[in-house]
Amino acid sequence: MKSLTIEHLQKTYFDPFANKQVTAIRDISLTVDAGDFVAVVGPSGCGKTTMLNLIAGFLAPTGGQIRVDGRAVSGPGPDRGVVFQSFALFPWRTVLDNVAFGPKMRGVPKARRHEIAREYLALAGLSHAAERYPNELSGGMQQRVGVVRALANEPDVLLMDEPFASVDAQTRMTLQEELTRIWEQRRPTVVFITHDVNEAVFLANRVVVLSHGAVLRDIAIDLPRPRAWDVLIEDAGFKTLAAKVLQQVRTA
Amino acid sequence: MSALAASVSPWQRLWSAYVRGTVRHPALASLVPFVPVVALWALVAQSGLFPPVFFPGPAEVVQKFGTLMANGILPAYLEDSVIRLAAGTAAGLALGIPLGLLVGLSDRAHRALWPVLLFFQAIGDIAWLPILLIWFGFGLTTMIFVIVYTVLFPVVLNTVLGVRSVPLELHRAALSLGASKVRVLWEVVLPGALPNIMTGLRNGLGFGWRALIAAEIIVGTSGIGFLMFDARRAGSVVEILLGMIVLGVLWYVVDSWVLAPIERVTGQRWGLVTRHD
Repeated sequence: MKSLTIEHLQKTYFDPFANKQVTAIRDISLTVDAGDFVAVVGPSGCGKTTMLNLIAGFLAPTGGQIRVDGRAVSGPGPDRGVVFQSFALFPWRTVLDNVAFGPKMRGVPKARRHEIAREYLALAGLSHAAERYPNELSGGMQQRVGVVRALANEPDVLLMDEPFASVDAQTRMTLQEELTRIWEQRRPTVVFITHDVNEAVFLANRVVVLSHGAVLRDIAIDLPRPRAWDVLIEDAGFKTLAAKVLQQVRTA
Repeated sequence: MSALAASVSPWQRLWSAYVRGTVRHPALASLVPFVPVVALWALVAQSGLFPPVFFPGPAEVVQKFGTLMANGILPAYLEDSVIRLAAGTAAGLALGIPLGLLVGLSDRAHRALWPVLLFFQAIGDIAWLPILLIWFGFGLTTMIFVIVYTVLFPVVLNTVLGVRSVPLELHRAALSLGASKVRVLWEVVLPGALPNIMTGLRNGLGFGWRALIAAEIIVGTSGIGFLMFDARRAGSVVEILLGMIVLGVLWYVVDSWVLAPIERVTGQRWGLVTRHD
């Protein structure tokens, strides 16, 4: 796992209807160490999704630089795995082939890549669903597939764009607990975008609060692991941190 | 409760028997709806309202079918028509799908070609026949041109629609998993557009089949269209009716044996198209 460095990142759009430049990212510098879990929160329009799209290489920055393991980002690539809010599973591929997609693009032979996919599906408790098509699964199960599909490709950085925002509240808590468990086992480097303060504090080692396209605060989350909602929901330390982050987001 | 669970009416009993019967023998579902149609036809023919020469009944048509099958005319004409349609459709797909991918993926190609495509789509198949007859004469070239032209547009326009309906996130997901742009075309764009391409093929085949019959009537050397028009010259209403029935049956066969099974294992299986069975 390699670190992620962002230096004076800037992104402006030209809006042809308004006939002016719109600033999405003013100036962001951030370093994410290998094996760290960083959550990025902020009010809507603060630029958090734009930042993720820039790191993923879906958009080109207008200024500054993004580096993964020292190499400058110049487009999408398998070193940065992405988990989408809309899951973005391939409807025409079975769950197994969705997870095996990354290894397939790397040229891993069929038997081996199916072995890899089964291993990762087992990690998320999805072994029974391997031969099913995405549309036959619930939203929660689809996103479990989305997460392990990105992990199975062994990216240097895992980028997650509000991945649990479109599942129901109970499923969301389960998915959050599963994600912390998987993170503790595998220690991937994660950048997790969310607007949910509790989610950010529950999952991350660091919570970065964005405001108007810049970093407002960088708050360390020193809660013990493993983390579980049953425990943390009553925990004074969790409540204090969540209140602190929430206050920052609301003033942002 | 007892009021709600009222007795089953005879009609419901009959309906239930039919529905269960169609599950056991699917062919019933395709044949039974034609029973009243044929019965009405036979009744009108029997009534003597029209002279039999003008309005023959089902029996005469079945008899004619036997004769034309026995002397080999119908199989030969059918083969000619089907081969023309198949060749024209294959060429239409081979041209239409790549063109649709190009116009669907490239904004520039879309800007440059879309108005032109719409313009030429409007000049329907048959409208080309006068000039084609002058250029290519009464032959196979003219007929193939008409079919390819007719199949091409629905395939191109629907492929464009299909390509543009693939969510941006699927492109992004594939690229982030290490796919090259060419792999994205093969792994994401084509399967994503496939349900629409099938719609284009379905429309194209339908229009193509009609265009072929029209072309055969005008160009006229062989084929089902020629059979029907030739029968008109001979004043044989039986043969004309037979030709019409053959057209309908053949389309039904293509739909239920070729198109529907492909749709079942692709778009419907993937949840991209709603099932209706």
